[in-house]
Amino acid sequence: MSGTGLLLPLAIGLPLLGALLAPLLPGRFAARFASLVCLLGNLAAVAIELAVYRGGTPLLQPIGGLLLRADGLAAAMLGTSAMVTGAVGLYARADHGDAPAFWSLLLGVWAAMALVLLGTDLFSLAIALELLTFASVPLVCLDGRPGTVAAALRSLLFGLLGSALILLGCALLLGRTGTLDIQALAGLTRAEPATLLACALMTAGLLAKTALFPLHLWLPAAHGGASAAVSALLSALVVKAAFVVLLRLWFGAAPALLPAVAPLLAGLGGAAILVGSLVAVRQARLKLLVAYSTVAQLGYLFLAFPLVVATTPALGAFAWTGAVLQAVSHAFAKAAMAMAAGLLAAAHGHDRLDALGGAARAMPVTVIAFGLAGLSLMGMPPSGGFTAKWLLLRAAVESGQWWWSLVIVTGGLLTGGYVYRVLAAVQAPAEGGPAARPPGARGQEAIAMTLALISVVLGLVPLGSFGLVQIGRLGSAP
Amino acid sequence: MTGLLLALTVLAPFGMLCACAWPGPRRAMPGLLWLAPLPGLAAALLGAGHPPIVLDEARRFTAALDAPGALLLGGAALLWCLAGAYARSYVAGPGAGRFAAWWLLTLTGSLGVFIAGDLGSFYLAFAVVSLAAFGLVGHDGTPGARHAAAVYLLLAVAGEACLLLGFALLAAEIPGDSLAIRDLVAALPGAPGRDLIIGLLLAGFGLKAGLVPLHVWLPLAHPAAAMPASAVLSGAIIKAGIIGLVRFLPGDGAVPGWGAILAGIGLLTAFWGVAVGVTQRNPKAVLAYSSISQMGVAGAALGLGLAAGEAGAAAAVAFYALCHMLAKGALFLGVGVAMTSGRRRPWPVLGPALVLALGFGGLPGTGGALGKAAVKGLFGHGALGLLAGLSAAGSTLLMLHFCRRLVAEAAADPTAPPPAGLLLPWLALALAAVAVPWWLFGPSGLGDPLDSLDPAGLWPVLLGGGLALALRRVTLPPVPEGDLLVPVSRFLGAGAPWAGRMAGLEAVLRSWPAAGAALLGLVLALGLALLVSAPG
Repeated sequence: MSGTGLLLPLAIGLPLLGALLAPLLPGRFAARFASLVCLLGNLAAVAIELAVYRGGTPLLQPIGGLLLRADGLAAAMLGTSAMVTGAVGLYARADHGDAPAFWSLLLGVWAAMALVLLGTDLFSLAIALELLTFASVPLVCLDGRPGTVAAALRSLLFGLLGSALILLGCALLLGRTGTLDIQALAGLTRAEPATLLACALMTAGLLAKTALFPLHLWLPAAHGGASAAVSALLSALVVKAAFVVLLRLWFGAAPALLPAVAPLLAGLGGAAILVGSLVAVRQARLKLLVAYSTVAQLGYLFLAFPLVVATTPALGAFAWTGAVLQAVSHAFAKAAMAMAAGLLAAAHGHDRLDALGGAARAMPVTVIAFGLAGLSLMGMPPSGGFTAKWLLLRAAVESGQWWWSLVIVTGGLLTGGYVYRVLAAVQAPAEGGPAARPPGARGQEAIAMTLALISVVLGLVPLGSFGLVQIGRLGSAP
Repeated sequence: MTGLLLALTVLAPFGMLCACAWPGPRRAMPGLLWLAPLPGLAAALLGAGHPPIVLDEARRFTAALDAPGALLLGGAALLWCLAGAYARSYVAGPGAGRFAAWWLLTLTGSLGVFIAGDLGSFYLAFAVVSLAAFGLVGHDGTPGARHAAAVYLLLAVAGEACLLLGFALLAAEIPGDSLAIRDLVAALPGAPGRDLIIGLLLAGFGLKAGLVPLHVWLPLAHPAAAMPASAVLSGAIIKAGIIGLVRFLPGDGAVPGWGAILAGIGLLTAFWGVAVGVTQRNPKAVLAYSSISQMGVAGAALGLGLAAGEAGAAAAVAFYALCHMLAKGALFLGVGVAMTSGRRRPWPVLGPALVLALGFGGLPGTGGALGKAAVKGLFGHGALGLLAGLSAAGSTLLMLHFCRRLVAEAAADPTAPPPAGLLLPWLALALAAVAVPWWLFGPSGLGDPLDSLDPAGLWPVLLGGGLALALRRVTLPPVPEGDLLVPVSRFLGAGAPWAGRMAGLEAVLRSWPAAGAALLGLVLALGLALLVSAPG
């Protein structure tokens, strides 16, 4: 037990140490060093996944006053984070190879992500989210262009507003109950004004950080303006951190209060799906389209709240697996999509959809990767996105909350609309100079393709193995 | 053995598709397309007559082959094989590798729907054939083809959405964990949401089969595709809708109301296809409308079978679909031959084409007549039988119109001989369209094929021929391809400003004051929701 438990501090410590050491190295070595850390971190993540899956119980490891806990959700997301970060690192060697700051921030994002996933008290989760914000915001404006600096500032300011609300909530809760440990709070949260206010404040703050509609003002500009590697990292992982904390808060700390807010959360999620997809369909620029697609796909995660809580345990397990699988498969698909979009933009020198003609012939692998990722986002079989949406759909239909099924299906149709717009644009006859694949992009194409294939293959994994994400689920009936 | 063949039915084309990732095989693939469906053909031949075979792969994919499935699988595999041989000569140039890739993917799904035995595999195969056909439709890259492909994809995805909802409801409302189609359909009539489920499935499958009013993509897509692709689209791919209807609608008379509705839609479709088809000038568009009309007849026959609880309806409809599959596929190939042969050499095309065309009206001795004989019992002798006869007369008229348009398509050089690479597959498929129905009629348990030689079956042909003669000088004003699509898309176009307004609203929400207000509003809303409904 203690041997596997030591993996948990390793999962945080490795990237953290890497983030601290990378700036000390000259550019070339920073990239190599970061690759090594990525490799080791991936091994640690796989080991944690295996240990949780084999053992069937969460891993626990106290370090000092801090208790780390890896349940199925954390293990699955940890593995996803490690793989996506590794892929982003490989992809970025061509674009950011000689910038030590990039490598330090990349590893910093990963370390913060790991702490979000493994932390067991609300205060350390809030701190981890802070770290995440401070590591991810500079990534947006690494190129120093005024547009990206403005976008970064915008997300920083809004993120700080969110943080203020979260910390205020923590303080209220601590004053009321004397603890911020999530599992201890489960027995202490009562329906009295201070606790309710604390929950409301924290939830609003977390929604701001996860960019749930209508609090998404910072996301399109930041994700659309950042480099391909960075927007892959942000869209795939960073926005989901606050969602994980929301799951911990509502299913772990205050499960009794959840039924009151679950419909509201899912309603916002539904609005995000519909509005985000519709706006994505109308975008004129590819990278903004991908960013709005993130706004929309995040909405699916929030459908989990009423579907898990207001149903039988079996259906609740369906919805929970569906939501986690949506988070995982979206991470792979969206990272692939952001990378493919970046490659297209780099080859053309711009990302205007009406002038991307000829790309399908010049860069078929990129276009196929984009298409496969799009299929997964649409929820077409056989893909992880399909299995996720099918599970949510089943839960919605069987629990009598059929209206969510309409949202899921309509969202799929609209997703098809914006994916089709891109595929039609790249198949149009080439106008002006035909785009050639940029030199050295072959490896980047392969990385995008691999991520897209993973998001598809997730749909072929036997459903039973997703039992992993049920292990140690907070708030579930024993 | 049969299990292996069933697995190879889908794995062989899929494996060939994967081989396209390497440049060498990709260059060779257009010449090898005819090989891909052969395992499917073998499976249909060896599996027919045997009891259903269930094959489990890690408890996810189940393959089963019943008699209707075997008929359609065999016919589709034969058509794909000969159309693949035709494509070898027809499709050349730099896009050939891409064409082959789309072809193989579509083929995988197209054969897969006939052998899928559980809900998941069926939906997967159906989605693959629906979505991949997009690549075949739009392959030419002309504006017309791109438009057709866009409309096709939009409607195909909408159909998928209907099916997905229907399947989710089906899986949800049926007790037990089994996702085998057989178990689900057996329990369907007693399910609480029965009518909604059947309605959604009817929309999804009807769209694929081209039933009015969901047929609008078909007359755009089938003429736009390359000739061999049109043949498989109109011959094999729309049968995915028919097999869906056959598989998922409970056949034991448990839902007579839905049988009557399907029969009504089918008859409407049968006449609609004829009425719009005779105004078309492009022979491929005429054929597309003829397919719509024929699928209408198949749908009507199935609906009547459902209403009456006829146990043999599925087999009869599958046989009818088989006859249509081969004949229609052959005629599309024939159009390509006609376009490359000179005016002075019409007979290698026109001769067989006339036989096949009149077969659609039920000329005794043809494959079409056997198809009509198979479903005749379902229509009966009353008013419905008369309507079926009238639709056959309409088909005769439509197909004679097609033959006239075909002659007008001759190549510029009046003595040009048709290329052998196109001529041979066409003749082989035309022969199969007559011979295969004769061969399989008896073994399918439909009676003695010689009974179909009854001269009383000749009146629709004579009536249609007379009409064609009377109307030969009349030029009807052409209805645009896709008929209903034109007013509908105008109507939908009116919704564009609304979407614009939505985007405008979203832009407002992204301003600082609005976002700040939203944040505060959310805190209040969450707090209020908690205060009002929290326990205690």
